[in-house]
Amino acid sequence: MELAGVLARWLLGWFFVYMGLNKVLHPVDFLKLVRQYEIVNSPLLLNSIAAALPWFEVFCGLLLLAGIAVRGSALMLLVMLVPFSLVVLRRAMELDATQRIPLCAVTFDCGCGGGEVVICHKLLENCALILLACGLLTGMGRRFSARYSLFQNSPPPK
Amino acid sequence: MKKVLLEGLAVAVIGATLAFAANALSPRGLHLNEDYFRGTQRPPASAPIANNPSANTNSQTDTVAAELKAKGLQAVDGNRALGLFQDPLYQTESIIFLDARDDQHYREGHIPGAYQFDNYHPENYIATVFPVCQKASQIVVYCNGGNCEDSQFAALRLRDDLKIPGEKLFVYVGGITEWTARSRPIETGERKSGKLRASGK
Repeated sequence: MELAGVLARWLLGWFFVYMGLNKVLHPVDFLKLVRQYEIVNSPLLLNSIAAALPWFEVFCGLLLLAGIAVRGSALMLLVMLVPFSLVVLRRAMELDATQRIPLCAVTFDCGCGGGEVVICHKLLENCALILLACGLLTGMGRRFSARYSLFQNSPPPK
Repeated sequence: MKKVLLEGLAVAVIGATLAFAANALSPRGLHLNEDYFRGTQRPPASAPIANNPSANTNSQTDTVAAELKAKGLQAVDGNRALGLFQDPLYQTESIIFLDARDDQHYREGHIPGAYQFDNYHPENYIATVFPVCQKASQIVVYCNGGNCEDSQFAALRLRDDLKIPGEKLFVYVGGITEWTARSRPIETGERKSGKLRASGK
């Protein structure tokens, strides 16, 4: 069970490092994709989200890989994953209504770092990531952690 | 639970600080105060039809032309763009073309002789482009065409920031996608590299 937790931590960490780096390398593309969601009107807020979010994903991913502040990092990933999944769903529903195709046939680049995707698959993937993050929040994945909790030294399980 | 929240807050504060610092240091970083999408309220329609010239229906072109007119810009279609390209005034730079795409796409292929003017990193191009725009009588700005708005944003930047008169500015609605679909010449690499290739399918 503990090994599963470590694998979940590494998988989630690697995923966010990889996806974050894809966006870090193409910030303008990511900026345009964030804009399509019409989350904010202010250029400052829009640019701040597009500028900082990819690097923040990489940061959280690295923390998970190293096993530092694991639950805090998992919480931050949840804070990003849940609302982002909702806006992706909202956008997919808008396109579904516009293009008059089944919801699960809608494809677009959601800005996740993986290019154009079938949105149903993406939402399923995000659900899995959310579950992994929730699992880490419960305290899984302590083994091979550099500093599992920032505020308390917890010895790894035997 | 409280410790987890505190830890999350610490991760957020440290992470955000590092993220903004990384953006500031990165050569690809975004300028936070810049309005990159000036003159627009809504992003374009769904991406899947973005770059397919056969999807550029007359109604879509008309819509774009109307949008440009509303912003005080002028649209040119493929035939007019070709006419300007073949005009002898193009050789004297009284007519110029500006490519509003990024380095990679510009180098992969641009209209021969076109200057690059990336709307998202204008500071890299203004020194070259500004004097040329001042001298030119007609400036044709293009990007990918279709749903690409970068040519509009670049044209608006030229007009509003660099004070290039609007009557000199034209937006080639079909963009490089239409240009290549019509098998027109393409130059690769740098401007005036001499590396021409035939485009089209």
